[in-house]
Amino acid sequence: MTHLSEEELIAHAYGEGEMAAVKRHLEGCAACSHTYTAIESDLAEMKFAEPPGRGAGYGEKVWASLSGSLPAYESAKWKWLRGGRWRSLSYAAACALLLACTFAGGRLWERKQAQSRAKISSQKNPQQVAHVPQPGRVVVVVLSDHLDRSERLLVELKHADAESIEMASPLRAEARSMLAANRICRQNARQQDDPRLATALDRLDHLLEELANQPGGLNVATLARLQNEANADGLLFEVRVLRSRLPNQQAASAGHTKGGTT
Amino acid sequence: MLRMDMNDQAAIQAVLAGDKEAYAALVVRHSARLFRVAFRITGNEADAEDVVQEALLRGYRKLESFESRSDFGTWIYRIAVRCALDRIGGSKVDESTRIAETTNGEEDKVQIADQAAGPERLLLSGEIGAMQEIAMHALSATERTAFVLRHLEDRTTEEIAAVMGIPPNTAKQSVFRAVQKLRRRLATLKVKT
Repeated sequence: MTHLSEEELIAHAYGEGEMAAVKRHLEGCAACSHTYTAIESDLAEMKFAEPPGRGAGYGEKVWASLSGSLPAYESAKWKWLRGGRWRSLSYAAACALLLACTFAGGRLWERKQAQSRAKISSQKNPQQVAHVPQPGRVVVVVLSDHLDRSERLLVELKHADAESIEMASPLRAEARSMLAANRICRQNARQQDDPRLATALDRLDHLLEELANQPGGLNVATLARLQNEANADGLLFEVRVLRSRLPNQQAASAGHTKGGTT
Repeated sequence: MLRMDMNDQAAIQAVLAGDKEAYAALVVRHSARLFRVAFRITGNEADAEDVVQEALLRGYRKLESFESRSDFGTWIYRIAVRCALDRIGGSKVDESTRIAETTNGEEDKVQIADQAAGPERLLLSGEIGAMQEIAMHALSATERTAFVLRHLEDRTTEEIAAVMGIPPNTAKQSVFRAVQKLRRRLATLKVKT
């Protein structure tokens, strides 16, 4: 028979534990019952002196000694006002932070949008945009812009005459600046299997090279020769036709303006 | 003039609204009860009075954290018990009466540094109660507090655990160890008489 532990008997004496089970055991176990009786007796003997009484005025006496050291709570109104300055500053700081985050997020989003627009545009109409990967950056050339510049250059070439040879100088600079873009567009046109565009850009390339690299600079005779050799009028017409063929010209231009070059 | 007509909740709200004097109602209502438990734990009047003041002061400072759905009496009682526990735990080494507990059964008796209050003299003069008080001081602070709450304040194990901020099993063990030690000392006294 397993006897109850002293701990279980003490808990039982205080009315805790498994009362019914312990009681049943005690009824059938003389040893445990004897121990339990001893515990009960000891606990009954543990009588300690009652705390000394305190008079009716004890509470008042405690209050009298306490009241001087208690600071009054601030009313909710004053507390709010006092805390209001810091709270306002906190709100302002939080708003400023939120504004800064929103601005930065907007800038990032705008940049990503522009990049994705350029990508979509190139996938939809490969003729319009040409990407030239270079170490560290990406150059995006929009065909419609290039054709615009070509048209302007051809018009200026057409109207350049002997009396205004000074006007030929900007033509040379413009031709040099257009050479690289023209080659990109021409390469792209070949890849996209667009012979008409490729031919026109070939002719334009030849003309731009002549204008850009003419030994001794441009003069009246050279201009007249180039106009004839390149059939500038015919080329101008061809450029205008090709340009009119491009859909969504304005949209593409707008997209290029925002994020064409990074 | 003290306003005693306010109930606890009204007094707390008034105090938090800036009416310091309203706390008087709470002090007057609960001081005597706090003194009783503080005395039982600390064992002397001076400490008990200090505990009452400290508990009420802490209660005032923490009044904002008091949840209004709770009972203020229970809350301040808990604070008082912890103050008393801190006091006996911290001041034990400064007691003029130093008590050592031995593990040898033959030597298992209360040793009192103060010769004027030796156990023989106490027994001879029939001061069993005083001897028990001394035996109480041999308990650790936790054991003593748990025993007081169980034996004298009639608190359940769960209540003791909540008041002292300890797990119920620890509270139960503390009561058990306290009773065990006190019984051994009582047995020694019985043999000697």
